[in-house]
Amino acid sequence: MEALSTFLALLAGGVLTGLVFALVAVGLTLIYGVMDVVNFAHGEFLMLAMYATLGLALLGVGPLLGLPLVALALLLFGIVVYRVFVRRLLAGPPEATVFGTFGLLVLLQGAAQALFTSDYQSVPNPPLQGTMHLGPIALSEATLVEGAGALVLTAVLFAFVEYTETGRAMRAVAEDRIAATLMGIDVQRVNALAFGIGAACVGAAGALLMLSYPVFPTVGAGFALTAFVVVALGGFGSIHGALLGALLVGLLEVFGGFYLSPELKLVPVYVAYLAVVLLRPQGLLGRR
Amino acid sequence: MHVRRPSALVLAAFALAAFGGATPAPAADPPEIVIGSVLPLTGSLAQTGAGLRTAQQLAADLVNGHVSYPLPLVGKSGLPHLGHARIRIEFADSQGKPDQARAAAEQLITQQHVVALIGTYASSTTATASQVAERYGVPFLNPDSSSPSLTARGLKWFFRTTPHDGTFADNFYQFLGDLKKKNKNLGVKRVAIVSEDGLFGTGASDAEEAGAKKNGYDVATRIAYPATTTEVNAEVQKVKAATPDVLMQASYLPDALLFMRGYKQQGVAVKAILAQDAGFIDPGFIKTLGPDAEGVFTREVFSLDIKHRNQAVPLIDQLFRQRFNDKPLDGNTARDFMGILVLADALDRAGSTKPDAVRDALTKTNIPGKLTLMPWARIHFDATGQNDGGVGIIEQVQDGKYETVWPFDVAVRPVVWPMPAWKH
Amino acid sequence: MSGAGVRTNGLALAAIVAVGVVASFAVHDAVTLDLAFTLLLYAVLGQSWNWISGYAGNISFGHAIFFGCGAYAAALCVTNGVSPWIAIPAGALAAAALAVIAGFPTLGLRGHYFSIATIAVAALVETFVRTAPWLGKANGFELPIRSGWAAMQFPSKGPYVLLALALFAAVQLATIALERSRLGYYLRALRANHAAAASVGIGERRTKLIAFAWSAVIASVAGVLYAQYTLFIDPPSTIALAVSIDIALIGVVGGIGTLWGPAVGALVYVVLAKGVALRIGGAGKGYDLVIYGAIICVIAALRPHGIVGSIVDVLRRRRGAAAPDATIACAP
Repeated sequence: MEALSTFLALLAGGVLTGLVFALVAVGLTLIYGVMDVVNFAHGEFLMLAMYATLGLALLGVGPLLGLPLVALALLLFGIVVYRVFVRRLLAGPPEATVFGTFGLLVLLQGAAQALFTSDYQSVPNPPLQGTMHLGPIALSEATLVEGAGALVLTAVLFAFVEYTETGRAMRAVAEDRIAATLMGIDVQRVNALAFGIGAACVGAAGALLMLSYPVFPTVGAGFALTAFVVVALGGFGSIHGALLGALLVGLLEVFGGFYLSPELKLVPVYVAYLAVVLLRPQGLLGRR
Repeated sequence: MHVRRPSALVLAAFALAAFGGATPAPAADPPEIVIGSVLPLTGSLAQTGAGLRTAQQLAADLVNGHVSYPLPLVGKSGLPHLGHARIRIEFADSQGKPDQARAAAEQLITQQHVVALIGTYASSTTATASQVAERYGVPFLNPDSSSPSLTARGLKWFFRTTPHDGTFADNFYQFLGDLKKKNKNLGVKRVAIVSEDGLFGTGASDAEEAGAKKNGYDVATRIAYPATTTEVNAEVQKVKAATPDVLMQASYLPDALLFMRGYKQQGVAVKAILAQDAGFIDPGFIKTLGPDAEGVFTREVFSLDIKHRNQAVPLIDQLFRQRFNDKPLDGNTARDFMGILVLADALDRAGSTKPDAVRDALTKTNIPGKLTLMPWARIHFDATGQNDGGVGIIEQVQDGKYETVWPFDVAVRPVVWPMPAWKH
Repeated sequence: MSGAGVRTNGLALAAIVAVGVVASFAVHDAVTLDLAFTLLLYAVLGQSWNWISGYAGNISFGHAIFFGCGAYAAALCVTNGVSPWIAIPAGALAAAALAVIAGFPTLGLRGHYFSIATIAVAALVETFVRTAPWLGKANGFELPIRSGWAAMQFPSKGPYVLLALALFAAVQLATIALERSRLGYYLRALRANHAAAASVGIGERRTKLIAFAWSAVIASVAGVLYAQYTLFIDPPSTIALAVSIDIALIGVVGGIGTLWGPAVGALVYVVLAKGVALRIGGAGKGYDLVIYGAIICVIAALRPHGIVGSIVDVLRRRRGAAAPDATIACAP
């Protein structure tokens, strides 16, 4: 009985962990899908969103209330970054986007350290700190909300891409940039929006994560690394893939941690990634 | 006869000679003794480094000043046996990296010709910087690095005032032993050891495991997790499955929070959580967890409130706050402050800046604990260069604040045992 | 590279070596020599990365593991009473083996997939080192103080700079040789057009594996030298992701796929790190990172071929040669 309840607890934990990873990864996969850019500064966007949430919280606006504001701020930030910077990277050789977004990573981390110091800072008196019981399993309220947020975000994003005109334009650009231009689609505008929306997704993620984590300049690194693996595993550009990949990674990490050892819990994750990418280079649900 | 009027130039020359003669000989300024300090002034440890730098500078200023405190060499306007020479600290940045620390130490020795080195907080940077000092034959005083291996290298020029991880682990077991003396049915047999997998956590947990074996406790489980992890589901389940009586933990703030919340949610009930500083004493810990932090124990190196403490403690704290954004003196800054004083004391007793003389004076250091800011018995270096009078204290979160509860003779509050149950 | 090119580059190299040799004997200032050593070591690491990411076109973000092979080989040798000179071939062998094992499955991956795969492999290696007691776990190794050529340890910095100089010269010559060799030709063909290259029988995986293995060997030798210089190695200073990123950025800033790019990149990196740290360091802020990041952003956006690459482009244009990829320009 002990073993069963432990197993269930691990299962629940793995699923929730996976959903949190999905929360962070979904914005990344959209950007890649539309414009072929892996934003290596993705973790730093998350970090900025978390600082923004903290700032609002210090002004009395809690993370849940502040979420739409942070998402909006990140949307604008993403559009600006695209217009000023990423657009130029796209005009260059393929390595330019990789190096450019890495440069952005270094710059943003340095700026955060200069502006906010490397202290750990948390939202004071965060809400949803209680525990919910689902039968024998105990779950953290905050993590449940984060997980729900991931599902909502994925659904909303999917609906947007499937059913709206802009979303259709994005899919067109993703499929064939030249043909899309010939169809009269303003690719630059679509790209900028996609980048902005990807950033907004990360913004929402950051706001929710402040329920459970402190923020510091390098907080993005751990999340981003997992996000890259998740997106590559699930398939760049596939929103469903990101969700699936995230759940897999979450379960592998948690079960690996218990049945192998916590020190080695990331090993199954990386091994699985390498295995999938070798046998199916486009990822589980990816296209090209 | 035409009397020549003295030219302005000649007059000026006379004036200069007259006034020049009135002032003392070229050594108008008291002689200066330069100490080199290697600290992480940039990089992820920069915040800590800035505090350490402030503390060291404060100590130097007090040594050079004339206000007296019950601390060695303070308020004597410099070093009396060296012609009231003033101490100047030359700071160099280690950036928190071992190779940078090496370069910084070398620069201080070869370019600034420092008489001694002090630093460097992180054990990995202390390792390389002190090796440089050993090569050049310059005394190196380490006030704040905790890896036991640093004094196990057989170095001649390395001196460490702070207790190391081994001592801190011993303190945990002494604490438990003292509790057993008071209460025979303490019921502590199984110890779970949890730590992050970096240098800090590994050092702490190695020492804790060795201590458990030495003192007859069972290690229920030993868990190391990746330092930057974002979830601890498996770890918490493992701890739960091991049913320990007592938990010893070494974590930084983000993981400390994850674990505490995880323990509460999964109903991990232990008699005590004994933490190794770091994340558990970060101000964010109590602030974020609120009542869930009640009862947690942590070892500490220093406290503003212990019984029979040196009268200078609140005064130095005040001076430090004035210089550092109203942040209070803590274990790191207090140790670094004392480090400068220990060097000053040795230099003064040596009466010379020759390396061998200074080193010899250091080996003869014997400062009673009461004359320091620390809860130590004394500062006296053993054959390996380790201070054998150092000891940690144990604090417990009571009513939202950390209070000293051990050793019992300096405790300000009694121990609350066991930890209160989780409040849902 | 033409014969004239070899002459020019060879002369430049000879000049640098000559200056370096003189400096290592004449200069006694430890700080300057330390700068020279660091510069040369980074240039070598950058060049090793350049072989796989620039010439072969597979951008690696895990290169530090090969650097670590050499560093740890040196540490293991010394702590077991063996001369660190043995670590050079031993580390090289380990690095080459690691490159082949990691590269065989992954070198067929395109673009981002490969880069992320290198991160995954590097993370696995780091986990392995951190959990293996015989590799020191998180504590790493401290190398005992010795002296003399047999121990590859010296009380003064001059001999270290000489060794670094020798390594740098050897690597630059090897790179010139690479550019003129069949391997280099195959690599260029693969970069220009995978399919066409395959159709004339150039095995992509095999070719890139060779380049990858050699780049690993170079990095590993640099690692041995580093260990003997710093006398302390642990995972964060040798195999962490941050180290891999530093190596990559040196290559990018200088100019990916060029002979002198890594050297120039190393120069920029060292000057910036020391210069900024000296002037601004002490306040505890991340200003140096902000400046470095900004430089990289600017280079990536405006001069993606890096400093040396841009100079090469300008020279080519002046000589009237056609643009390297003469394809029909399309709308964005």
